Amino acid sequence: MIMNKTITIDPVTRIEGHAKVFINLTDDGQLESAGLVVNELRGFEKILTGMDADRMPLITARICGVCPTAHHLAASNALDNAAGVTAPPAAVLLRELMYMGHLIHSHCLSLFVLQGPDLVLGLDADPAIRNVVGVVQAVPEIAKKALRCRSIGQKINEIVGGRGTHPVTSVAGGIAFVLDSDNERQLRELTDEALTLSLELMPVVKQLLMKQIEKHPAMLSDWVVPAWSVGTVQPDGTIDMLNGEIRAVDKEGNKILQFPTRDYDQHLSESVLDWSYMKQVAVLHENERHDYRVGPLARFNATERYGTPEADREREEFIRTIGRPCHANVMQSYTRLIELVYFAERARKILSMPEIHGETRVPVKFPGGRGVGHVEAARGTLIHDYEIDENGIVRAANLIVATQQNYALINKTVAQAAISHVINRPDDQALLNAVEFGIRCYDPCLSCATHALGTMPMEVAVTRGGSLVQTIRRLC
Amino acid sequence: MPDEHKNPVVPQKTDKILIVCIGNDLVADDAAGHEVFLRLQRTSLPGTVRLEYAAVGGIALLDRLTGEEGVMIVVDAVQFGAPAGTIHCIPWDELPVLGAGALSGHDIGLKETIEIGKLLYPEKLPQRILLVGIEGRCFNLTRDAMTPETAAAIDDAVLLIQKTAHVSQGALT
Repeated sequence: MIMNKTITIDPVTRIEGHAKVFINLTDDGQLESAGLVVNELRGFEKILTGMDADRMPLITARICGVCPTAHHLAASNALDNAAGVTAPPAAVLLRELMYMGHLIHSHCLSLFVLQGPDLVLGLDADPAIRNVVGVVQAVPEIAKKALRCRSIGQKINEIVGGRGTHPVTSVAGGIAFVLDSDNERQLRELTDEALTLSLELMPVVKQLLMKQIEKHPAMLSDWVVPAWSVGTVQPDGTIDMLNGEIRAVDKEGNKILQFPTRDYDQHLSESVLDWSYMKQVAVLHENERHDYRVGPLARFNATERYGTPEADREREEFIRTIGRPCHANVMQSYTRLIELVYFAERARKILSMPEIHGETRVPVKFPGGRGVGHVEAARGTLIHDYEIDENGIVRAANLIVATQQNYALINKTVAQAAISHVINRPDDQALLNAVEFGIRCYDPCLSCATHALGTMPMEVAVTRGGSLVQTIRRLC
Repeated sequence: MPDEHKNPVVPQKTDKILIVCIGNDLVADDAAGHEVFLRLQRTSLPGTVRLEYAAVGGIALLDRLTGEEGVMIVVDAVQFGAPAGTIHCIPWDELPVLGAGALSGHDIGLKETIEIGKLLYPEKLPQRILLVGIEGRCFNLTRDAMTPETAAAIDDAVLLIQKTAHVSQGALT
């Protein structure tokens, strides 16, 4: 009889939502299985059904307090598509400006609140101090700049979006916002400051990252998960966070697929796991399923340039020193840092474009049918897919969020950490640190990702040494 | 502007009170803070009170402080292990040390936020910071599933906040 040992890590700290990790070992200490169990269920797709389609940008923004603007704009894109309209150029630019603000906020939060403790204090630091307060104590001036940059991003989002956390201005057919001279002046000052701060933070944070890699070379040699990468591109291959086609590149970086959003269900295949509420997604190509990643590192792999000078300069530096494609999870932080600079540069660029002044809305009527839209959320590609009837009522909704697309890789990362830190190494603390660090590299947002209803039992029991230690409730 | 973060203006502390109600109005017991906000909007509060609703708490709370507030009352659903509907009124420095997300499903907790504020922006921090926490049980279902005991505690929480605001006002003036 084989006696298995189960190690549970509950909860994984500093990721949004709640999560459990399981690592099942056989009695001779070998890894049997490992993964992240998602036990929170929100059922948002279900509550969208029966609502006015017009409300989608407002309601879906409330799915999450961390990436609301991504949902707000993905919903707007989907409604434009459903109505068969194109938002006016000024509206497209203003939506993007709002989004750049949100992304500056989100990346700062991720870099400095979620990953800062790992970068500044180190993986081996006592968990009691390896937190954001510890970061502030260790490097107060850097923390102050990072938090200021986050606030600026939120302020840009608020000015254009009407509200900071849950924006309200983007609507089907455009945006209910017109740029006046006061707002323009304020936004120019804010974007200038955001760029200054992000350029100051870049070398400092990069140095912290490289220091950790020197200390833990396994981060670059062992903690590598080769996979396909998915991101969004303009026709010339430049990254686009809000519009454009979805591109998939293989492990070697070869462009394999590029398709418009409405065709996502022909190329991305969802599957239900029997031990988690979160559905896994894979790229389907020539009848084979390929695990893939989304987010900053994936966008770096899948796109050909950022299209702004400072970000592209740093991109070249990355390629020269690290290489491309890159599959080292720790490098999510580096690419996130480059994107932070890109967002600030792009926001400034948008404000200099004359097309930003002009009509911001076109009339909208839903003829009945399907509407699909997507954005590149901070954490990766986010797709909204609605069936809308001729009365403008949502009859079905499907949301594919970034974390569920990264889910297969997150689980592989957990298994890697388990192999490198469990087998013949009875240091539980090092294991916990490694697992948590690996998961946080993906910046998972599990409260968004657990919306899909599965067919799981009413309760999931987590056992340790054969005893029940946790019971998980589910929606019914 | 670019150097604003280096040279903060230090305003004078006054008798101003900031009440920030936190929570997702679409999610079961997490909507408790929003319910309190709606009811406080319909009640009489001292003129020096600023009432705000924030979908999420965490570090963004610091953005709401001007440095002029003498008192900040944070209202949120909590899970401290007490029976659902229990109302906690706790000074921030007596908050239990919990993992991230204990007070909010997102961002970082109130205790960490205030600690960061004290370290980085001491000039912005009010003299008193209180958490009015309403114990919830259900945070993974939609609004209609609010726990009856939590829903029943909303009015009492509103009364407590009103009283606290009036008392605080008296203490500050």
